[in-house]
Amino acid sequence: MMAWFTLLVNSLWAAIPAVGFGMIFNVPRSALPLCAVGGAFTYGFRDVLMHNHLSIEFSTFIATTAIGIIGVFWSRRYAMPRPVYTVPSIIPIIPGTYAYEMMISLVSMNTDGVTDALLSSFIQNGLHAVSILFAIAFGLVLPSMYYTKRQKPII
Amino acid sequence: MLLEYGAESRLIEQLSSRLGVALGCTSIEISLIPSAIVLTTLIGDSSVTTTRRAHEQPINMSIVHQIVTICLAAEKNTRDIIIVERKLDNIHSNPYPAWLLIPIIGLSCAAFSHLQGADWPGFWITFLAASVGMMVRRELSRRNYSLLIVFAFTAFVCTLIASLAFYHGLSTSGRVVLSSSVLLLVPGFPYINSMLDAFKGYISMGWGRWTQATLLTLMSSLGIMLAMGLLDIKGW
Repeated sequence: MMAWFTLLVNSLWAAIPAVGFGMIFNVPRSALPLCAVGGAFTYGFRDVLMHNHLSIEFSTFIATTAIGIIGVFWSRRYAMPRPVYTVPSIIPIIPGTYAYEMMISLVSMNTDGVTDALLSSFIQNGLHAVSILFAIAFGLVLPSMYYTKRQKPII
Repeated sequence: MLLEYGAESRLIEQLSSRLGVALGCTSIEISLIPSAIVLTTLIGDSSVTTTRRAHEQPINMSIVHQIVTICLAAEKNTRDIIIVERKLDNIHSNPYPAWLLIPIIGLSCAAFSHLQGADWPGFWITFLAASVGMMVRRELSRRNYSLLIVFAFTAFVCTLIASLAFYHGLSTSGRVVLSSSVLLLVPGFPYINSMLDAFKGYISMGWGRWTQATLLTLMSSLGIMLAMGLLDIKGW
């Protein structure tokens, strides 16, 4: 019970960045609530998958594929290109912390000299960041590749 | 025939050919490179080729949306070029006002820090840093500096303010604060667009956009490194 409550609150927190970044990209006003829903959904879904002992990369991949498929339906209903919904929705799961830790260890390797701990932290965080980024991109591309196969415009 | 440059690539091709057919041309052929469009229009037996340069614009999804709407309207009642031209002239970007945008960005970066486990002082410092960063970014963009310089300088300012978290142990989670206050610079759209383009067969467009996104990321990490070098990572 408590776990579900935390999950819900965290998803609501994740909806705020989705809206904020939608505003940077100048998304039309009518699409902002959908961006919020998408961001909350993506974050929550990934959390559920990670609780079920899937790795972070794989659950990210599944969550972004889900939001990609949902985006196809939304874009058809409201006659809007899909990235309007999908890109703000995946903003909350971007691996900012991993990339940052990678850079920190790079800088301190420069100043303090290379040690085993710094090197392993650099490689591990970097691999995490890159693989999560790739999972996000591939998950978003997958639904639209399916529709490309059918040779019919989505909107 | 008019063509506007939005922020997509496959969408551009589909839209312009559909618009052309809707306006009564026989067929439209188009070729894209990152900085220009070449467009050939076939009407009966004669053909017209034009080349347009594409200028670097900030991402604006509402313009893209308006163009899509116009195209759909043109398909419904065909051969009505005057209406289409008038509508294309009427496209306007309606940017969000600054007093709304800046706090929202601050709040969203603060929400990031909260999600990654920062405490409440860290939350407020992130809010401050991201808001100031957004203000700097808007001001610099308005003065037409290169996007790369804008990103580097914004990252510099953000990191300087976020380092306040280390001041006298104000917050116990300084690293999270630092990392999430620069998240407003993530070039999400160029990355995703480049992936979409490359997977759909527009290799050169994909490479162009990917290079642009990577350059932006590099410049912002340069700004962060400068600030950290100035403060010696440990803060003030």
